[in-house]
Amino acid sequence: MAIATPTDEVLETSILGRARNLRGSPRIIRVGSVLFVLAMWEVIGRANPLFTSYPTEVASGVLELMTDGRLAPALLTTLQGLGAGYFIAIAIGIPLGFAMARIRTLDIALNPYVAALYATPRIAIIPLLVLWVGVGFQLRLTIVVLSAVFPVIINVRDGAKEVDRNYMDVAKSLAAGRWQTLRTVVLPGSLPYVFVALRIGAQRAMIGVIVAEMTSAIAGTGRLLLDLARVYQTDKVMVIIFIIGFFSIFVTSTLRMLQTKASPWRAESRGG
Amino acid sequence: MLKIDSVTHSFPGVAHRVLDNVSLEVPEGGFFSLIGPSGCGKTTLLRIVAGLLAPAGSGEVYVDGVSLIGPSPEKAMVFQHFNLLPWRTALDNVAYGPELQGVPKKERHELARKQLQAVGLEQYVNHYPSQLSGGMQQRVGLARALAVEPKVLLMDEPFGSLDALTREYLQTELQKLCEKSKVTVLFVTHSIDEAIYLSDRILVMGRNPGRIVRELEVELPRPRWSYRARSEPSFAKLRDQLWDQLQNEMAEGEGQEGSRGGHSE
Repeated sequence: MAIATPTDEVLETSILGRARNLRGSPRIIRVGSVLFVLAMWEVIGRANPLFTSYPTEVASGVLELMTDGRLAPALLTTLQGLGAGYFIAIAIGIPLGFAMARIRTLDIALNPYVAALYATPRIAIIPLLVLWVGVGFQLRLTIVVLSAVFPVIINVRDGAKEVDRNYMDVAKSLAAGRWQTLRTVVLPGSLPYVFVALRIGAQRAMIGVIVAEMTSAIAGTGRLLLDLARVYQTDKVMVIIFIIGFFSIFVTSTLRMLQTKASPWRAESRGG
Repeated sequence: MLKIDSVTHSFPGVAHRVLDNVSLEVPEGGFFSLIGPSGCGKTTLLRIVAGLLAPAGSGEVYVDGVSLIGPSPEKAMVFQHFNLLPWRTALDNVAYGPELQGVPKKERHELARKQLQAVGLEQYVNHYPSQLSGGMQQRVGLARALAVEPKVLLMDEPFGSLDALTREYLQTELQKLCEKSKVTVLFVTHSIDEAIYLSDRILVMGRNPGRIVRELEVELPRPRWSYRARSEPSFAKLRDQLWDQLQNEMAEGEGQEGSRGGHSE
């Protein structure tokens, strides 16, 4: 375990200091890069609008989608399944991950299923799910839970097992009980991994729900995306893709922010 | 009083014994040091006494005549790498032991504040370990151990990872704290000078198998910070004796170095 020494601090401040000196220039590069790509897209896109559409057309596509009343219901439908499923996946995955890390018998008993289901592409189960629960809300819910719960379990379990032995020694030497050790060392010690689990779970959940809607559902964002593509409305397809992309970025950065807030003892968050 | 009775330990898959029938007795308020070449099992012995490791052979540990082989707040440990919980402030690290014993928040914080004051860190109560220097972190580690008011303090090379100046400063601080709290100390070190400066008695360990090969009494008067103890002729004489003994032990274990157990210190 890295214990901060004065040398680390010195190193850290010097890196931060250097970044601060360059603060102006990366931003200019970033904005310039985005503007350049948009301009190229506009030029190339106009040559063959069916292929990629182009930025000004996409902008007007946003307005059309919003006014024709298809976008909002589709987004809402997807979000309901996503939100409910993600919540269930977390509520099951986090406690189960910790339980598997701390109770050997449980770990050994459940590991074959967790490992197998984690490795199987969840998308392959969709046809079966349609048979079981139909093509509505329950399909979204089920696929989101199945997509998110296994990465959550596995990351939480591995993180809880990875907790520094030195910290476990402290708890043990002061005669902490099982629950006390879990609460005061294992939980806070594995917090970075829990947030990794939440991020990966969220990404998997989003993939799951969009794919389920594209392949099987009769409503939702994925379905709308497919419908628009089938009638060659590339500009609107682009709008949907951007919405999904921005939503994903929003979720990830919100989780990062929460992690920073939950770990005031570290200057920066670790893990990916 | 701490009594260790014929502790024998071996690691799985290693033929020879890491500890062979080690017995010792530290009187109440006494300060004993264990010194020896790496691989002699001194850290293993300390971990067994602390209850962090169950002896894989035989052995008993008594505190004031009561058998206490497992972990217990009667025996508090100070670790080589401080082992402060990084998500707790200095105050909550020190209050950790009392918290585990169910002491209410207000009381344990008061207690912790007192301990931090005793180690000169009253201004750092709300700092996280990462905001403290190594020396400060180990002072928090010491305060944490003393906060459970242990009868026995087990110290595993506590100053080993500190610079020389901080080290000598903390050696003096430790003496003062021990005098005040009358705690019984078993101290593991690989520094000859540290062992002499701090101890009432030094136990030299040999390896293959790990055992106590010699005991040396330190008769320098206390308190030793009040004069230049390190410059006394008897200090130099002890240093030579210990050095000769340790070189012997090093040479003896050398041939079997390859078969040594996998425990690192």
